[in-house]
Amino acid sequence: MAVERFFQPHASSWMTNDGKNVDIAMSTRIRLARNLNNFKFPYAFTEDEALKVDKEISSVLLDKGNELDYTFSHISIEELAELQKEILVEKHLISPYLINSHHSGSVLLSDNEELSIMVNEEDHLRIQSLQSGFQLQQAYKIANELDSLLEKNLSYAFHEKHGYLTSCPTNVGTGMRASVMLHLPALTMSHQIQRIIPAISRLGMVVRGIYGEGSEALGNVYQISNQLTLGKSEYEILQDLENMTEQIIQQERRAREAIALNSPVVIEDRIYRSLGVLTHSRLLTTEEAATCLSDVRLGIDLKMIQDVDMSILNELMIFMQPAFLQQYADKPLQPKERDFARAKLFRERLNRNGINSEGEDLA
Amino acid sequence: MICDQCGERSASVIVKQQQQGQIVEVNLCHICAAENHSINIAFEQDPLAIHQLLSNWFPNSQASINPVRKEVATCPSCGFTFSKFLRIGKFGCSSCYDAFSPQLNEIFKRFHNGNTEHNGKIPASYGTTLKIKKEIEELRKQMQISIQGENFEEAARLRDEVKVLSAKLEGGIQDGS
Ligand SMILES: [Zn+2]
Ligand SMILES: [Zn+2]
Repeated sequence: MAVERFFQPHASSWMTNDGKNVDIAMSTRIRLARNLNNFKFPYAFTEDEALKVDKEISSVLLDKGNELDYTFSHISIEELAELQKEILVEKHLISPYLINSHHSGSVLLSDNEELSIMVNEEDHLRIQSLQSGFQLQQAYKIANELDSLLEKNLSYAFHEKHGYLTSCPTNVGTGMRASVMLHLPALTMSHQIQRIIPAISRLGMVVRGIYGEGSEALGNVYQISNQLTLGKSEYEILQDLENMTEQIIQQERRAREAIALNSPVVIEDRIYRSLGVLTHSRLLTTEEAATCLSDVRLGIDLKMIQDVDMSILNELMIFMQPAFLQQYADKPLQPKERDFARAKLFRERLNRNGINSEGEDLA
Repeated sequence: MICDQCGERSASVIVKQQQQGQIVEVNLCHICAAENHSINIAFEQDPLAIHQLLSNWFPNSQASINPVRKEVATCPSCGFTFSKFLRIGKFGCSSCYDAFSPQLNEIFKRFHNGNTEHNGKIPASYGTTLKIKKEIEELRKQMQISIQGENFEEAARLRDEVKVLSAKLEGGIQDGS
């Protein structure tokens, strides 16, 4: 089965750690929401219509996808095992919403996993383009080309005044959500992030993070994305987001310099302790792993740690999640067992790849 | 987007909260977010619990938006009523946009910082239609000017041009006048 490849713990191309400003901007995503003209939207359509929509869209892509030098695999969500569905979610290739849908849905995945097209999610089409690093223009270019190809062969629901018509009033217009994932440990540590967030909202953008126990985002990872889809062109939206992101990156760099200058030993100690936890612990919770990953990333960026490959850290952020761990352990896991499997995964991946393990036992 | 808590400043943070065992998403401004201690910001999920916002904004459904017309707008194509749209926060089909049109500007304004019109990409197929429509608009304006200037010959010529373009738009010959 050719689609097996997508469930393997190998890195998608957007996790590879290439691209501009990748030390701070980890990945970029563009999503375009589209609907077909002659069908009701997924909140109102029948199963019969859902199947027809799926067939129309996937036949275009399977037929003409090679015009864009992509080869697509069509995967029906219903045909997947539970674990496989969760793995695609953890890889950010599909949304949790799609797997819980009451209708037939599918995903079309490009071989390099940069493009994924969800069919019958909240809209008939959700085109998603993922890139490593800070590459808004490139990610949009790819999504836009695919969109134009589809549009030539399908009839989109489009309105002169409202633009692309979507199920949700927050997406109407361009249907575009552009986002950049940022690692901002220094701005978080120095509490400057609270001052930055209001400035972002004034330009019609939002910040998101996963917040753990305290007020700091889990792993110091934040996602910045546009909120407006009406009134501005795609180009203007991307430009605003790009400018804002560039400013945040500069501020993060300045904050890192200040931290390195003012408290080198304290920071160095924290970074090496975290490296120690990732390479030697026997039980590792998600929170602890995220915190330590953040510290080790910072350590690499500050050139304190030389022998850890950043792309492995990117992979681990994905593979430390429950479904991947279960596949890795090859059996269902209780939460405590997950912490054990997670610790084992980190030891194996990090020690095998260059860290002097000092007699580390991998068993 | 306006802050759910103070209803004054624009929201910049999406907060996921545990409320009686349910996960609820709330949109907060930076000040209200800073005051919120059990902060849990949503990540992968699409932005907002739209229906919650809509019901906060329009607590008594269509009555508060359009006090004159009490009858419920219904989409002829998918059967969604305006109150269903408010309840689930989603459209059922593209015709809903026309059926609920009187109330939509107000809603779009709140979600899109005061914007209501699309300014971006136009599908190639619609592009031609839109272009023709704009041309017709322009010709009609010129026609008015010609008539006001009592230049009836020119006005007639422009009228014929409009006829040709309208026919193109309809994909057939149109009966003028
Ligand atoms: Zn507020
Ligand atoms: Zn409808």
